[in-house]
Amino acid sequence: MRSPKRADAETGTEGGARADAVAEIRDLRVEIGGRAVVDGVGLTVRPGRVTALVGASGSGKTTTGLALLGEYPDGARVTGDVWVAEGPVGYVPQHPASVLNPARRVGALLTDIARTGTADLPRRARRAAGRARVLAALEAARLPDGAEVLTRYPHQLSGGQQQRVVLAQALLLGARTVVADEPTTGLDALTRRRVAGELAAVARRGVAVLLLSHDLDLVRDLADEVLVMRAGRVVESGPAEELWLRPRHPWTRELLGGPGGTADGGQERGRPRTPAVPAPGPVTAPLPVTVPLPVAVPLPAPDPAPAPARDTVEGPAPVLEARAVTARHRGTPALLRDASLSVRAGECLAVVGRSGGGKTTLARCLAGLHSRYEGQVLLDGAPLPRSLRRRDRAQLAAVQYVFQDARAAFDAYRPVLDQVARTAVRLRGVRPGAAEEEAVAALGRVGLSEGTARRRPGGLSGGELQRAALVRALLARPRVLICDEVTSGLDSVTRRGVLRLLADLAREPAGPALVLITHDLDTAALADRIAVLDAGAIVEQGPAAEALTAPRHPFTRALTGSPGAHGPR
Amino acid sequence: MNRWIARRLLLGLAQTAGVVLLVFALTEALPGDAAVALAGDDPDPARIAAIREALHLDRPAHERLADWAAGLLHGDLGVSLASGRPVTDALAAGSGPTLLLAALTLVPLVPLGVGLGVLAARHEGGPVDRAVSAVTLAVYAMPEFALGILLVTVLALRLDWLPPTAVGYGTDLLAHPAVLVLPVLVLLSRPVCSLGRLVRAGMTEALASPYVAQARRYGVPGARVRWAHALPNAVAPAAQQLARTADWLLCGVVVVEALFAIPGLGTVLVDAVAARDVPVVQGLAVVFGLVAVVLNLGADLVARRFAPRAGVAA
Repeated sequence: MRSPKRADAETGTEGGARADAVAEIRDLRVEIGGRAVVDGVGLTVRPGRVTALVGASGSGKTTTGLALLGEYPDGARVTGDVWVAEGPVGYVPQHPASVLNPARRVGALLTDIARTGTADLPRRARRAAGRARVLAALEAARLPDGAEVLTRYPHQLSGGQQQRVVLAQALLLGARTVVADEPTTGLDALTRRRVAGELAAVARRGVAVLLLSHDLDLVRDLADEVLVMRAGRVVESGPAEELWLRPRHPWTRELLGGPGGTADGGQERGRPRTPAVPAPGPVTAPLPVTVPLPVAVPLPAPDPAPAPARDTVEGPAPVLEARAVTARHRGTPALLRDASLSVRAGECLAVVGRSGGGKTTLARCLAGLHSRYEGQVLLDGAPLPRSLRRRDRAQLAAVQYVFQDARAAFDAYRPVLDQVARTAVRLRGVRPGAAEEEAVAALGRVGLSEGTARRRPGGLSGGELQRAALVRALLARPRVLICDEVTSGLDSVTRRGVLRLLADLAREPAGPALVLITHDLDTAALADRIAVLDAGAIVEQGPAAEALTAPRHPFTRALTGSPGAHGPR
Repeated sequence: MNRWIARRLLLGLAQTAGVVLLVFALTEALPGDAAVALAGDDPDPARIAAIREALHLDRPAHERLADWAAGLLHGDLGVSLASGRPVTDALAAGSGPTLLLAALTLVPLVPLGVGLGVLAARHEGGPVDRAVSAVTLAVYAMPEFALGILLVTVLALRLDWLPPTAVGYGTDLLAHPAVLVLPVLVLLSRPVCSLGRLVRAGMTEALASPYVAQARRYGVPGARVRWAHALPNAVAPAAQQLARTADWLLCGVVVVEALFAIPGLGTVLVDAVAARDVPVVQGLAVVFGLVAVVLNLGADLVARRFAPRAGVAA
């Protein structure tokens, strides 16, 4: 894993060029099995500046970023120069859960990191000083109830909280350079602004930030310098403003295609994007130092006709209904309080809110994945058993779930096609042969060829796997399909594809009712109705157009970035 | 949590009852009974019938079982057919040496097994790892009686360092520690190997994980990473293995006790089966069943603590 390539400060010869840099990469080439994953990349990171590497997944961003940590993929052939000034380099990976030890409480590693900085204190004072530093770092990473978080296991934290814990590790370390890999993946609009604010604050302290991201809003908000990567090469680089105003390379133009690279042709809606100007009020993060330019981004055209009209008010009886659901984990306060909502046949309901707000918990209660709750979940008016294990085949088929991390939702050792077809066999009693034909046809409709589907999950991209996961759930012919953040973690081009698929599904008259759990307002725009969750309570519920354009609750206003919003806190 | 424990205990009681029923049925199915065994060298049918009547063995099996079960509810395990003394006496006499052996084995077992596992994992793929793996595999492959005979032959008979068996030392074995060395060595040999191999497997996986890489990257010292961050991930499987070992030790290690003539529960069991002493066999089945249930429950609690995610679904 480690390579001697990472040179020390002393061996840096070209002192002139490095005078103002804390790290520099020159002509880096990383080859795995004869294939170059990174080819001829060069970049310089400077204290207090944010350098962004932009590109689709698989473009070599992470490999380049990890080179600053002196880490390379196993069996890689590395050539080129990587120079890092003395001092630790912090790393915030894309999936923060992977660097959190599942068997230890969150506080364990933080305490050990703090210990390295308190060694010069008298023995008795170390513990208290260490704890104070840990709490300060958590506070700086915007985890104010740090003392409580320290005693939790990683799986008891939301994705956003996990990420803030990992960011706190880097802050605690006193890193001079922080490599942040897709830091806003899996975060809602509000938290995304907070992370942007935090990364900006990190930069303000004189730390160099290398941002690896496909979140163009974030890059636009933060970056001083942008490098656009494609297939291991830097296709274009330069100061952020210039790149944004005058993209030279066609790939850059395609990447910048959709506004913020998120919305897609059919589902756009006339929400004015105010990416750079967080609403005033205590809820929002402090403005990033690098206030981005008010670039003339092409606004999406106002929605011509909000999806085929459906009965949204006096419609048919609800298919799935939650009544006064209050859910908790073992030994934690309630994650969800008294939540009631319903979704009618053929309707599309979006549940939005910030990460840690209880969205996923609500979805898991509906799906029978979380059984520790009070209240009722009803399918066609009849109570559903709390636990998946007690649900019969028809009930299992009726409520299907698509997970955020499609790769983790597939067995890595069996062909995708077999796993997709299995649903029809298990839940509908179809013969294996017929199920396979059905799966091939359904996968074909979402653009996955039989050849692709016969590979193992490792041979498919994230977007392809997410589409396969959707098809797998649909083969159960569900009454309700719950999609948990299915578009986050995908780069903008891939995300557009999955969004289009969801939009088609929502329009299909005989299709299942959709429950979209999301923090992404563009995804939420697909819905007929929206429920807004904050701190475990449903604070607003109503037709989508209304909730997004004329939000009533202050939290919703903050979330949608409406002007004049006043935060609830 | 408490409901989970209560459910597990109830299930364990049901399992124990099932084991007792099965043991009763099997001893009934054996040819001969306690009367035949007591009659010994004088197998006169009339005498056997008389003994049978005196011991109430002429009553139908289900009545005897019902009587015994009724007594069990009052904590009465019945009376030994062979000696006429309460079954609890026989169990108490046998459990002393067994508990002593088990304790003496378990105390060095944990540090040795964990230490070997961590050592091998630290040098994964290197000569130390290969040496540890080769030796543990070889020792694990050797049955207790073979290793026991080897050790007795070399250390007791040839070199005369230690007494070969516990014959002549009575039940107070603690007064003669030399007697215990060979049995403990034999008992220790295989569990150390299986525990070490399990810890090594869990450790190598944890050491290759991103969270250990993160701890190293952030300057946490190597020893601290191994013991405080990687080892907890190997604890859950090791605890299960440890529970199985403790269960095996407490429920009478027949071969080892027989080899070293130690009057523990294993010896009591063998004697009771030979004498068709059904109440003693059933009493032992109850004790062994409960021990197994409690130990496994404990191991599952440890596993839940160190693999909390898996516990959510349980």
